[in-house]
Amino acid sequence: MRRKRGFSMERKKAIWGWIFVIPSLIFFSAFSFYPIINAFIESFFNRNLLSLRPPRFVGWDNYTYLFRSRDFWLSVQNTAIFTVGTFVPLVAFSLLLAVCIMSISRLRRFFQLSLYAPAVLSSVVAALIWLLIFDPRGLANQGMNALLGTTGVNYKWLSDTNMLRLSRIIVYFWKYIGYFTVLFVSGIGAIPYSLTEAALIDGANRWQLFWRITFPLLKPTTLLVSVMTMIQCLKTFSTQYLFSTAGAPTRPINVITLSIYNTAIKDYRIGRATAMSILLFVVMFLFTWVQLRLSRTEEVTFM
Amino acid sequence: MERETLRCTCQTLSRKGINALKKALLLFFVALSLVFTSLASAQNIEIVYWTHTDDNRTEIENRYIEEFQKLYPNVTIKRVVYEAAKMGDLVLTAFSAQNAPDLFNLPIEQEYGYMIHGRVAPVNYEAAGYANAEELVANYLPGTFDPVTMDGEIYGLPLELTNWSIYINDRIFRDAGLDPDVDYPKTWEEMIEISEKLVIREGDIVVRRGFDFRYPYYLVAMLPMVEQLGGALLSEDGTKAIVNDEAWLQVLEWFREFGPHGRNLGSPTYTSARKVWDYDNNDIAMCLSGFYQQGRLRIDNPEFFESGEWRVVPFPVFENAVQDVACAYYGHYMMVNAQTTPEKQYWAWKFAAYMLDHPWEYLEVVNIIQPRNDLLNDPRFMELPYMDVFMNDMERGHIVFLHENGYQFERFIKEAVESVMLENMDPREALDILREKVQEVLDDQY
Amino acid sequence: MHKTRSWYLGKASNGVMWLILIAACVLVLIPLAFMFTASAMPARDILRLPYPWIPKGIHWPNYWNGIRGPEGDFIFLRNALNSLIVAGSVAFFTVLLSAVTGYGLAKFKFKGRNLVFMLIMATMMIPFEAIMIPLYMVAMRMGLQDTYAGLILPFLANAFGVFLMRQFLITFPDEILDAARIDGAGEIRIFSSIVLPASGPAVATLAILAFRAQWDSLLWPLLVVQSDEMKTIPLYITRYMAETHSDEGIMMAVAVLASLPMIILFLTLSKYFVSKEGLTSATKG
Repeated sequence: MRRKRGFSMERKKAIWGWIFVIPSLIFFSAFSFYPIINAFIESFFNRNLLSLRPPRFVGWDNYTYLFRSRDFWLSVQNTAIFTVGTFVPLVAFSLLLAVCIMSISRLRRFFQLSLYAPAVLSSVVAALIWLLIFDPRGLANQGMNALLGTTGVNYKWLSDTNMLRLSRIIVYFWKYIGYFTVLFVSGIGAIPYSLTEAALIDGANRWQLFWRITFPLLKPTTLLVSVMTMIQCLKTFSTQYLFSTAGAPTRPINVITLSIYNTAIKDYRIGRATAMSILLFVVMFLFTWVQLRLSRTEEVTFM
Repeated sequence: MERETLRCTCQTLSRKGINALKKALLLFFVALSLVFTSLASAQNIEIVYWTHTDDNRTEIENRYIEEFQKLYPNVTIKRVVYEAAKMGDLVLTAFSAQNAPDLFNLPIEQEYGYMIHGRVAPVNYEAAGYANAEELVANYLPGTFDPVTMDGEIYGLPLELTNWSIYINDRIFRDAGLDPDVDYPKTWEEMIEISEKLVIREGDIVVRRGFDFRYPYYLVAMLPMVEQLGGALLSEDGTKAIVNDEAWLQVLEWFREFGPHGRNLGSPTYTSARKVWDYDNNDIAMCLSGFYQQGRLRIDNPEFFESGEWRVVPFPVFENAVQDVACAYYGHYMMVNAQTTPEKQYWAWKFAAYMLDHPWEYLEVVNIIQPRNDLLNDPRFMELPYMDVFMNDMERGHIVFLHENGYQFERFIKEAVESVMLENMDPREALDILREKVQEVLDDQY
Repeated sequence: MHKTRSWYLGKASNGVMWLILIAACVLVLIPLAFMFTASAMPARDILRLPYPWIPKGIHWPNYWNGIRGPEGDFIFLRNALNSLIVAGSVAFFTVLLSAVTGYGLAKFKFKGRNLVFMLIMATMMIPFEAIMIPLYMVAMRMGLQDTYAGLILPFLANAFGVFLMRQFLITFPDEILDAARIDGAGEIRIFSSIVLPASGPAVATLAILAFRAQWDSLLWPLLVVQSDEMKTIPLYITRYMAETHSDEGIMMAVAVLASLPMIILFLTLSKYFVSKEGLTSATKG
């Protein structure tokens, strides 16, 4: 009797579980699962967006084309440069700023909020501001000239391969430095004070304290932040798109997503574009898998 | 109502059996179809018309729409505007998703692909108010329909035909000790020399430019420069990319010299030349633009417009040019979606022709030229400021390069020029990359 | 790095930390100060050498023209309203849908639950650009072009939201739920009157994240929106980047106007932007 009741209770709960989950599944099916499956299928076809002719099956041709294409490797290279060039300084500086904030006793919140402020702006607005700053007559040249004591040097922020890549990184760095600083601040805040106290009683100075206690305990947060930044960087699109429409050369900032957009929308080659999307998907899948593994280890460390 | 009908049907069934039911059902369907057809004929035909932003044109076209809807109350026109730069992408995605507008206009070099792929419908001459193709052609400047003619059918009505010449700010010329009457640039070599005299820099930072291009439009302005030197993008039969390397290299080298890694005179990263030119703010002395620039100038800076301190001079040529080619002219043509219903196509053409029947107003209010004979032969036409320069340059030029992949080629040329100007790439390397890319597209048609 | 040692020692170190922080803040805030000051200057002053930091009074035509729009029809107000409607509804419905699903996944055992969870998590790895074109076709087929639904529906299924809510609710005590069931409360009532009110911090964080993402969105509206009336603020701004309307003063004024709602939200709800819950859980996304 009791067993039967328990069974029906479980059944009821299972049904309610499905009821709670199904609305979401419908949305995910229509707007995520179906499009990605569709993209996967399209990547084996040649289809001209404009043509009324039926798509032609080409097998792996779109993929082999990409591996031979100089432009594709250039966009991979650009994405890699942007990703590495962004996340290393971002992680290093946000950690430094977080340590600074935790070391002072007043105005902690003020500094966090000020550093975080740019993250509030939309990327279109950010691109708009920085386009004017990077103008040859803009603040970037004025600032650099004042800083380095030169006069009238044009640092070619938008009109030089490497400077343009740097400029793009600066925009991202500016927008997210505060976000990651705040992350690290809460990471440091989560370290049990007893550990710090114990170390101080053992006579550790603050330098040793940081390297022996704070940094090792922050490792999971650091790893997590790194992987998260990398995934975000792989997806980067708007600023590159807006910069290249504003006259900056496309080649140095032609990241994979911009390349996908151009291949599909400008060149009408939907097959190649979706093949690129699938490759990007695979890379991001790997990164996310790593991230999920890391977040699991983090829970183990802190619990 | 429905329930009532149902109850009736049931009663009939019980009383007179199956035959009666059949009769009733038949009657019901007849009535239903009658209702539907009457609804359909009374229903409005909605024509969706996509066009690019142009404040002056919006004003007059909204009035034409009102008038047209009054004439034909069963037709509604939905006019939707987009920025010119985004329009190509949007029309393309709309067509690929089978969701395209009934009527639209794009630059002809972009529209060409739609013709090739059968996405647009030939002109319905009757709807447009002509007896046949010949009558339509005879009404316009000879050659107007060449770019939109395929297999004897005409696919578009011209909204505008535009070419660019050089606008000059006389005050800045005089300020730099130049006499705009004689010292204006006639060759590209002079363009660099004169720009050098006009430019003001603080250190390396340019605060006043002499001249600058309109960079995204390479097929319009840069390809003719190559042609002046005997080069071409494609061979005659269209199978081989890049004709005459020397011509291309000279032009690319010219751009390198003009840009920030050369003599530092201008660059695509500066504020759009023809916009700042209007402000007469000691920013730029010369820009490249069409007749319509005067309309924009009148709005942006009426004082400068009235001052008469500006002029228009012809498109320059290289000193060692082998042929005289001016800036290519490009057009916007009204086109009609071939996948829409014949009825909608009919009304779309009728509406397009109705709008385009006001060439003088388009010229006066919007400053765009519709090459209709009645307009061009009007004595008032040639008296418009600098119209002679534009018409003369139009004779020296030809229609912009047309190809199914023209849009894509323009992007490749853009990349080549940017590499040379902004990345200081060797022109030969940039040309090799350009050739490789264009050739690949040519070899891989599907 | 050898300098680090001295910061960590003695009293002088705190001074260095202050210096670093102040320098960082100044550098980070300069572009914002530029946006605000430039928005108050006529275009000709903005790219002058050197930049005149203090505007001579506020050049109101920038703001007036920014609001009036290039065609003088005050379309900015409509576009701002659209942005609010879209971002607001996405935030609201995303929270609701994520909470319902997260609750279902956290507190109910059923066959295939892990599969469902994994499937949902997998969508987090799909870059939007990868499915942009197929998604566009879906939206077209459903007749969603140029509608609010077209701007809202594709973003309601939010894998991160589901994850966040599930993680948050998994620690929710089962005893409370069971007690409510014994009291005869229905499942929907339990959810709406017990679970949802208790999820405050997670809900606020998720709502802000979803709102911001939509407020920021450019690519999707670029594809879906057709008429000027349906444009959102980012699209309105790109109009000013186009060749014909580029006036730096108006551009910056529009940038300020576009940022105001987010700035206000940030200043009033900063604890959810810069909160431990919000940020650490965000890392897991």
